[in-house]
Amino acid sequence: MTSPILSISGLTTEFKVDGQWRDVIRDISFDIGARETLAVVGESGSGKSVTAMSIMRLLGANARSHGRIDFEGQDLLSLPLENMQAVRGNRIGMIFQEPMTSLNPVLKIGDQITEVLMQHRGLDHRAATAEAIRLLDKVRIPSAAARLNEYPMNFSGGMRQRVVIAIALACEPKLLIADEPTTALDVTIQAQILELIKTLQEEEDMSVLFITHDMGVVAEISDRTVVMYRGDVVETDTTERIFGNAAHPYTRALLSAVPQLGSMAGEPRPLRFPIVDMETGEAAPVKPTADTVRRNGEPILKVDNLVTRFPVRKGILRRTVGRIHAVEDVSFEVRAGETLSLVGESGCGKSTTGRSIIRLTEMTSGTVEIDGRNVGEASKTGLVEIRREAQMIFQDPFESLNPRMRIGQAIAEPMIAHGLAHATVARERVAALLEQVGLSPVMADRFPHEFSGGQRQRICIARALALDPKVIVADESVSALDVSIKAQVINLMLDLQEELGLGYLFISHDMAVVERISHRVAVMYLGEIVEIGPRQAVFENPQHDYTRKLMAAVPIADPTRRRTRQISSDEIRSPYRAADYQPPKRLYREISDGHLVQIDAEAA
Amino acid sequence: MSSYLLSRAFQAVVTLFVMSVLVFVGLYLVGNPVDVLLSPSATPAERLEIIQSFGLDRPVWEQYFLFVSRALTGDLGNSFVFNQPALDLILHRMPATMELAFTALVMALVIGIPLGIRAGLKPEGLISKSIMTFSILGFSLPTFWIGLIMIMVFSVQLGWLPASGRGDTVSILGVPLSFLTLDGLSHLILPAFNLALFKISLVIRLTRAGVMEIMQLDFVRFARAKGIPESRILRVHVLKNTLIPLITVIGLELGSLIAFAVVTETIFAWPGMGKLIIDAISVLDRPVILAYLMITVIMFSIINLLVDILYSLVDPRVRLEGGSR
Repeated sequence: MTSPILSISGLTTEFKVDGQWRDVIRDISFDIGARETLAVVGESGSGKSVTAMSIMRLLGANARSHGRIDFEGQDLLSLPLENMQAVRGNRIGMIFQEPMTSLNPVLKIGDQITEVLMQHRGLDHRAATAEAIRLLDKVRIPSAAARLNEYPMNFSGGMRQRVVIAIALACEPKLLIADEPTTALDVTIQAQILELIKTLQEEEDMSVLFITHDMGVVAEISDRTVVMYRGDVVETDTTERIFGNAAHPYTRALLSAVPQLGSMAGEPRPLRFPIVDMETGEAAPVKPTADTVRRNGEPILKVDNLVTRFPVRKGILRRTVGRIHAVEDVSFEVRAGETLSLVGESGCGKSTTGRSIIRLTEMTSGTVEIDGRNVGEASKTGLVEIRREAQMIFQDPFESLNPRMRIGQAIAEPMIAHGLAHATVARERVAALLEQVGLSPVMADRFPHEFSGGQRQRICIARALALDPKVIVADESVSALDVSIKAQVINLMLDLQEELGLGYLFISHDMAVVERISHRVAVMYLGEIVEIGPRQAVFENPQHDYTRKLMAAVPIADPTRRRTRQISSDEIRSPYRAADYQPPKRLYREISDGHLVQIDAEAA
Repeated sequence: MSSYLLSRAFQAVVTLFVMSVLVFVGLYLVGNPVDVLLSPSATPAERLEIIQSFGLDRPVWEQYFLFVSRALTGDLGNSFVFNQPALDLILHRMPATMELAFTALVMALVIGIPLGIRAGLKPEGLISKSIMTFSILGFSLPTFWIGLIMIMVFSVQLGWLPASGRGDTVSILGVPLSFLTLDGLSHLILPAFNLALFKISLVIRLTRAGVMEIMQLDFVRFARAKGIPESRILRVHVLKNTLIPLITVIGLELGSLIAFAVVTETIFAWPGMGKLIIDAISVLDRPVILAYLMITVIMFSIINLLVDILYSLVDPRVRLEGGSR
């Protein structure tokens, strides 16, 4: 490596908590070479973002850093604030995770770009505007000149992240710090942004410090990788060696928990994740899953031609001027002991489908049967009984538990509400449920804030199980969890399926997790199922263009399988249609037993 | 936009109608103005004559119908007491009240926003804590008491400022205004500050809360990462976002400024509408009360409309649409 652009040595950052200084990262040291991409990877709480913020000195008055951060011949930590401001945005550009909130909602895009140019490059307003247009062109924003006068709300998440990148690169920095820049984006948009960063890096001759929790993204983009764990650097090496031959047990544990798309080839059934001991790095043997699907008899959940639309009203008379076709003519079945995954990108209608099934959202037409009972025609009391059979687990375990209710109460509440158990019986049942999801019965008296995210999701699962449901709708239930926790929760879900013969409707955007857990998969796009079939058939022999596009966009956690992609500016389309729109009747072609693919209207 | 304005105008008319019915029926129930107006020595014949001349002998719905049909031609009736058109009486007094209210509003903004920003930027500092203590006093001490204390200190003890009246006025487009003459201005300061005190406290708290919240947001952190100096971050990024909730509250508060002016006007003998309406209520001068309330409703509707329009100018995410959501 040539002489490094940025050299960090002995960086320790402390936060003031209750008047005491407590270190959150300790003795961090690494270098970034010219034109190099260095990934800092770790789970939540590993201190990777704090490291990035310490370099930029953006942590505020409640934090202090020691050590050295050498950049272009000066120690950033001892620089006066004024000089530091001349480095920020000028010599070092930075992008944050959340494109929806990184831009000021009440300032025009153009002004937010030109202010950097005027600040650092001394351009006048006119020259800065011309340069802003060039920058937006560069990040592939169509009709850049016209969009300068628009506000952030007119841009999608992916487009906002492009604007943020344009701002970060406005002064041709030597180093770009990207803090989880694609985490909040859909997978096809993530692929675009990663490709864009790679291309710009080559064009601009800059180094990139890439912070992420996603091993797939690391494998895709970085030359070298720093692995962090609870505030310490545990391993630094080339990305190939980290993935091929990691030295530290934690790195190995982390990697084994990463679901890899394509790793399930030839496996007929879902597979548990190997759980690796964080201390020794040894993997426990994986117990194969039993064949849980009950093929004979009626399916536990049957959805026929489900349609859910939301009217969009305007004007004094609140006329319906259009509709969001959130779910359009969707049909599928889930059998006892079977997992059907609905997979797709944001806005594809997968969550609305889940909510419509138990009438948390009213359907427009179609029939849903749970255990042979029609949900749409059910009376109020009938619906209560049906909902006993079908429970839901949500994405965010922090928001789906009442913070002022002890978790024992929270788990017992559905039983008492449905009149199934008295307080004493319920208490015994709560203890049994807690054990079933891998927690201790003595935890019943604690409040949600005393648990970690993974534990809370277990509590949510216990609550869902309290009524002995036959089917569980799991809406992005593991998406917010760290990889190692995610693996454990998925293993738990597989265990419970074996024990109780549960049917799962697993709603997710994560192709790799879906591949691991499902028996069958349905791919949704713009409210419709474009492809449905046995998991093996869909993943090993994808037929629809969209399925292929989705799979190609997933980053693969294997640096030897890197692909180059075309940068496109395609956006995820909106399912908004005019009021008089009549959706065409879709036809499906059967590829193999139970594997159906939508026939393109034009091609048919 | 035009459909929005139309629907808002429609809402205003409905409010006006409902208001007029409520007030009319309410006043009818409260008591007979003749009992209050007439001296006890009046003969029954005189009494009957007065009742007939006011139209009080007719059934209430007929009185209301008469009122509405006259109101549509701009005639809100004559005052029972002054025997002048009620509308003229009020319009004559209105400029004084409006001047007082707007001066108080400007004071609230000019004093409140900078103090609020200061308190929001360094919430732990001594200055910020003093500002917050001041705002608590502004909230909790009664207006009339502060008014009296101010008169005692500044007018009686120090003799700096006059205690009552409007002072010299200058007539601009037929509207008499105090703040353009030095004497008028010196008369205006005390009552306006007295009236503004509560609003200053409110503006300080709102601005402080807004600044504290917005300083934590991602786009401020991103602006710092862009190398933008703090002064510009504050001026451009934070202030505009803070104004959004402020505009809504201030718009609503302008109405209450005009209403609360009653107390201040009484203490400082300010010749505004407040005094007039208090007197009108005490003698049940129905036309004056009705006219006052009608004008207030119209004023509130206009202020709210202006606030909404201003709001949409500051916040691009708000689009004005017909009807309510």
